[in-house]
Amino acid sequence: MKTTCIIVEDIQIAADFLKKFCEKSGLVEVKGHFLNVPDALVFLDEHKPDLIFLDVEMPGANGFQLLDSLTYSPKIILTTSKTEYAFDAFQYHVNDYLKKPFTYKRFLESIHKVQGLPAPGTGPTPSTPSPSDIDFLFIKSDDKLVRLKKDDILFMESMRDYVKFVTPGKTYVTYSTLKSMEEKLGGPSFIKVHRSYIININKIDDIRGNTIYVQGNAIPVGKGHREELAARLNLQ
Amino acid sequence: MDKYLIRYSVYMQFLAYIYTLNEFVIIKLQFLMNKTRSDHFVFHERLNATFLEELFEGDTIYAETVFEDFLRDLPAYWERVQMSYQHKNLPLLGTNIHTCKTLFGYVGFTDLQELCQEFENKCAKHTADELQAEFATLSRKKQEAQHIIENEYNRLKRYNEGA
Repeated sequence: MKTTCIIVEDIQIAADFLKKFCEKSGLVEVKGHFLNVPDALVFLDEHKPDLIFLDVEMPGANGFQLLDSLTYSPKIILTTSKTEYAFDAFQYHVNDYLKKPFTYKRFLESIHKVQGLPAPGTGPTPSTPSPSDIDFLFIKSDDKLVRLKKDDILFMESMRDYVKFVTPGKTYVTYSTLKSMEEKLGGPSFIKVHRSYIININKIDDIRGNTIYVQGNAIPVGKGHREELAARLNLQ
Repeated sequence: MDKYLIRYSVYMQFLAYIYTLNEFVIIKLQFLMNKTRSDHFVFHERLNATFLEELFEGDTIYAETVFEDFLRDLPAYWERVQMSYQHKNLPLLGTNIHTCKTLFGYVGFTDLQELCQEFENKCAKHTADELQAEFATLSRKKQEAQHIIENEYNRLKRYNEGA
């Protein structure tokens, strides 16, 4: 089944490109195009599309004001020509961030990410799910196997032969290595930012210099990991 | 004239002798297809041709549409830029320049996009009077860009018509 979407974009050429890309992909059905936030919100009062392509800077209200007014949780792809919004985008937990103008290839990558499909060109999904397809993992902590939802993990810290898992409500320590956990987690949400830290990029509150802040925890970014992190966060 | 007619007639008789009609049609089609491929559209040197190739993926018909839309939309957007500059409304000027910046991106004016970005950033820190010289430069470059896109649009149109 196709993903339904709306486009909130005040620049006609940009909206036309998106419509064309959606049609070409065969994966997304455009239910409407709105030039401003109030018109989009009127539509969203009655319809609940799966996905919103959302521009940030528009006359009147901006894209983040639309996000504040939403009454349900659709997937969000921000489309903007300003990289400065990347941090706000992560605070709002948007699914992806497309810098305009973007190519069809980049659009497709984004759609695949939103739909949980493998990246274009990486072949069909095998029938056996890969670690990144499963949204939980079991860790041994306090003599029992604990089921942890990947979405709940804020970050992991290496403690020699142990790994500490930090979630909003609790911290778990398990006998393992960070490397083995990195392999188990897989998926686009987790990234190693330091030899001792793996973080969930959806949980980043802000980044100051070479330190990432996740719910009050300061996590250093290692020199060798900065480039990959910037690429993953579309900051390059 | 007779000389050309005789040469043409001999040439056609020779082709009819060595090829059936179907073979001849196929050869002609292959020739035309090769001609199209070798006649690849090359964008103006001021434009980011690599990016445009990626953006349009060789679809020159769509490129023509986008260039036409650009020429349709830019004057109205630029009028808003001028109005906000005249009213010394810098926040609005920044927003309007931001829109034009996006528009320039879709026709491959990467350098102008960067210039717009710089100007947009300065709108948050300077007064209209302080930005007078830079606004004049930007206006001149916008004019040049519009002229280039007009020519590119006409070239694309001719190319797509097969001229």
